[in-house]
Formats: sequence, structure tokens, C-alpha cells
Amino acid sequence: MSDAVLTAVGITKSFLSGERTLTVLRGVDLTVKSGESVSIRGESGSGKSTLLHLLAGLDSCDAGTLHWAGSPRTNAARRSAFLGMVFQSFYLMPELNGLDNVLMAARMRGRVGRRERDRAQDLLQRVGLAERADHIPAKLSGGERQRVAVARALMNQPQLLLADEPTGNLDEKTGDTVIELLLALSRETGTALVLVTHNLAHAVKTDRQFEMHEGVLSPVAGR
Amino acid sequence: MPWSLYLALKQLFPAGKRFPFFTAISMAGVMLGVALLIVSISVMGGFGREIRRMIVETQGDLQVRAGTYLVNVEAVAEVIAGTPGVTGVSPFAEGVVMLQHNNLPAFPALQGIDVERINDVIPLNRYIRAGTLANLDDDSIILSSRLAYALGARVGSYVEVYSPLLLEKIKADEIMLPRELEVVGVMEIGHQSLDSSVVLVTLRRMQELYGLGEGVHGFSVKLAAGADPDAVARALNQRLPAVAPRTYARSWMDSNEDFLFVVQLEKNMIFFLLIFIIVVAAFSVTSSLLIAVVRKTREIGLLGAMGGRTRDIALCFCWQALIIGVTGTAAGVGLGQLVLHNRNHIIATFTKLTGSEEALVRFYEFSNLPAHLSSQDFWLIVGLAITISTLAGLLPAWRAARLEPVEALRSE
Repeated sequence: MSDAVLTAVGITKSFLSGERTLTVLRGVDLTVKSGESVSIRGESGSGKSTLLHLLAGLDSCDAGTLHWAGSPRTNAARRSAFLGMVFQSFYLMPELNGLDNVLMAARMRGRVGRRERDRAQDLLQRVGLAERADHIPAKLSGGERQRVAVARALMNQPQLLLADEPTGNLDEKTGDTVIELLLALSRETGTALVLVTHNLAHAVKTDRQFEMHEGVLSPVAGR
Repeated sequence: MPWSLYLALKQLFPAGKRFPFFTAISMAGVMLGVALLIVSISVMGGFGREIRRMIVETQGDLQVRAGTYLVNVEAVAEVIAGTPGVTGVSPFAEGVVMLQHNNLPAFPALQGIDVERINDVIPLNRYIRAGTLANLDDDSIILSSRLAYALGARVGSYVEVYSPLLLEKIKADEIMLPRELEVVGVMEIGHQSLDSSVVLVTLRRMQELYGLGEGVHGFSVKLAAGADPDAVARALNQRLPAVAPRTYARSWMDSNEDFLFVVQLEKNMIFFLLIFIIVVAAFSVTSSLLIAVVRKTREIGLLGAMGGRTRDIALCFCWQALIIGVTGTAAGVGLGQLVLHNRNHIIATFTKLTGSEEALVRFYEFSNLPAHLSSQDFWLIVGLAITISTLAGLLPAWRAARLEPVEALRSE
């Protein structure tokens, strides 16, 4: 367990819906090692995104424990250095061009110098957007925006990459390209990847696969 | 540069957009408020300064006045001249007379001046528009411009002067003829009431008209640059009782205390009322930033997801309000200065269009619109405008800071 980047044990989460308590996660256990890729599939409303938000430290669980690289510190100050996130809706800053969007991650850590600029340029080159670095998101296609978002998520050399249905807004071909890119960069940089997806073809490309059903996370046997 | 400031600048002036509409509208509100304040306070300050200048230039920095009149003129003048800070002393006698020309009567204030010494205290030559002060002798008179116009008198005309003493003598059945004096000059100070009601004669003629003998009513005193009129007046009031009991020195500020208070009060009231324009502009800043918080809810959530601290997210909106305040204020100062620079053209055009040129001179008593902005007023306007605009960002900042990243990312 010493090389575990993410350790979640017995994660439980409920929400109040009117007078009813809705339990979304029921004792989820998940361990992800450094450089490992993991996929989580499940139908809509099964709790995949809620789990991802909890793993990112954006929300707190009712029960269970979460450790990032063995430490229970999962606050905002540590988040920017420890993990990167990719979302279905890209969430790029519309006011910033591609390069500045990627650099924003470094800027939020208070570090923007020559080295960071070179790294951002390099990442954009690796996602195939070196020529479009100065384009604002409105002038990029969906696939290009998601590739910028992937570069941004990797900017701070995180130990963990969380991707929440990153192909949900893309056509099949572009989606395949983005997933290939995510997996390749994850392997190349040794970054652990947790991929939430509906797409079985994408899920099977990860090292381990899980399924979420009514708040219970179970490994998929067979691969 | 902190990322909150960087993002604030980028959100206000986004890349690829030539005209940031929301930013421009918010800034325009602050700009107009500041420009209006600068123009109004400058004009009020200009009126105030003109009035002060006029008082000092027509009365001296301070005046020494006797309860009735003084006879030991030179002894008192010597004491006054020997007081530290005093650079010039000129005696005067004054009173109301009836003036007649072409059967038209007028009742101006007659000032008897010491022709030799008056320019040490009051720059009268500066205000002579026709004729010359050097020609003023015991048989001549200088009229103020509007009075001369009203009487139809000009340089070379003769006017008849009736003093109260003359009327007293007539009551005692003595036959007295009015003094006939030649107009040797016409002066214009630039203030309607003074230009309608002041005439000058020699001190000797005034003493004769009022039966003062060698006496005078007081002295106009000029002070060295930088001397405090109130301090010199206090020093004089300690020295004068020895030579002239019941004689008091008062600074021009002291003598016109009520009038100056009203001028200051008017200026303060205008400042107080106009500052609300900036408050309204600040509400517009709040409104546009609140819209920005709603429009950018998911981006705010993303900032949280990327490790942005709540206080930095709040700061981002405070920066935006501050930048709007600073740029709006700077633009307002520029616009205000532009309007002030062209104020006389603007007023001339406006009065020409409305046919109110005469009314401007008659009611506002100045032929040109004066303007003066003290550095204290300037920094007060700038400081208040920026502070109020920055405070306008607090509510949006608080709203943005309260957004939970998870909820913000889920929002559609």
C-alpha cells in the first residue's frame, strides 16, 4: 500500500431529498496505485460523479476515510498540487486562450515562469494543439477544448488524474482520441487515472474496471 | 501577480474581445459620477476662490476699523506698519452718497482712498478699464462699470454728489450745492454687485463730504505672502488699544465669516448630493458583477476544484470592482478636466442657444465661469469614488465565495 496514491475506505454519502434520505454511496472501497488507470462505469444517478467529487476532496463523506498518498489532508491547498481534473463540459475559462488556460493551473499555485511556460507549451504540443495555443475556447472544437483541459489537468504534474465522463460531449471518434491521449499521458507521466465513463470500449482500456450500482462499487471480473 | 488579480483583469478585458461591454457600462457610471463631481466642485471652488480673491483685493488682507472714526491717522498707521507680517497700509473713509447724472440718481458706496498708498494694499490699477487712477484728484471720481453704464456716464462726464452732511445742512436752512466731480476713470472688478455700487474719490474729498476733518474710518492692510491674517489681526489687537481705543483689526475671513460659511456650506451640500451619483454607479457595478457570478458559476466551481481558496475567489471579484473603480475614476477625472478646460465655450454655446447670456452675468456675477479644484477636494473625490466602487464588489465576492464547488460544477 506504500505506493497507493488514493485510498478510500468505507465511503458513505447520503443526501436529503425533501423528508427522505437518499443514500448515494454505500461503503465504497477503492485503492489506486501510482501510474495505474481505473475506470468506473454505471448508469446515470448511480453515484459515479458523487464518488469522484468525494475523491477530489470537493465534498465530505458521511462515513469512511480518504487518503491522498497516505495523508488524510485533502483540502484545497493540497488539491492543486496533488490532482488534476477533467470534466465532461471542459470548463475552460472563456476569457483565456489555450496556453493561458493551461498555465492557469500553475498560476493558482503562484508559479508562472519560463519553466512553467515551456511545460505548458510542451503539454499543448503533446495534445496536438501547439499551433492553436493562442486561440480562445470559443474558437476551438469540442475535442480541442477537451485536449486543452487534459493539458491543464496535467500542468502541475499531479499524482492523480480524475476524469468525469470526459467524452460525454464529444463524438465517438474524437472521444476515442481523447481517451487514448489520457491513457497515454497517464502512463507516460506515471499519473494515476480514475476515469468515470458510460462507454464500455473506453473502460476496458484501463488497468482495472469497476462498476457502480445503487451506490455500491464492485470490481468487474474477467480482464 | 496573484492569480485572483490576473483572472480579474482577464475577465474585465477578455482576450479576443475589442469592446468589453459590461466593463465599459460599469466604468461609464463611475466615470460620469466622478466627472460631474470634479466639474461641480471645481466650479464651486472657483466661485469660492473668486469671492475670496475679490474680498482680499478690494478690502485688503485685513481691515482695521474704528468704532466711529480715527483722527491720529499717522500714529495708528505707524503701529500697523510696524507689526510683523504687514507690508502695506492705506487709510480709507467710506459712506453712502447720492450720485446724479443726466437726472438719473444712484446711491453707491463712496470710498475715499489715499491715492499715494492705495496700490500698496489693493491692486486698483488692474481694474481700471477706462481713464487712469493717476488722474484721480479732489475734483474727480472713478465709477464702477455697471454704475457708469446705468447713469450713462463716461470718462470726461461730470456727476453730482450729495452727501448726508449736505442734507443735514439743508435741514438747517443752509444753502449747499452738490459737489460736481469729473469722471476720470471707470473700473470693473468682475463682480456684479461691486461693479454696480462702488465709486472712488480721494480721501480728502470723502473727509470733506462726510465732515470727518482729518479723520478716517479705518485702514486696509496688506500682508506678506504666507502671513496668517488671523495671527496678524491678533497681534494688532494687542497693540492698537495703546494708540486708538475701540479700534479693532479683523482678517478678511473674520469679516466675511457668515458669507464664507454659506459658500462652504453650498459646496459641501453639492458634494454630498453628487456623491450619490457614484453610489448609484456602484450599484451598477454590484449588479454587473452579480450577473458575472451567475454567468460564471461553473467556472467559479472549477476554480475551487483546481485548488482555489475561497478568499482568493472572493478577492477576484473585489479586484474587478477595484479596477472598475480606478479606471472609471481615472476616466472621470480626464472627462471632468476636459469639460472644465472647455467650460467657457460650453457655457457660451448653451447660453447662446437658450438666450441667457445676460442672466448668467446678472445672477452669477462673473463674466467667465471660474473653476478651481483644491488638491484636498481632488483626492477626496478620487478616494471616495474608488472606495465606494470597491465596496460594490463585496456582495458579488461574498456570493462567489459562498458557492460550493460541487454545487457550482453541477449547475447548468
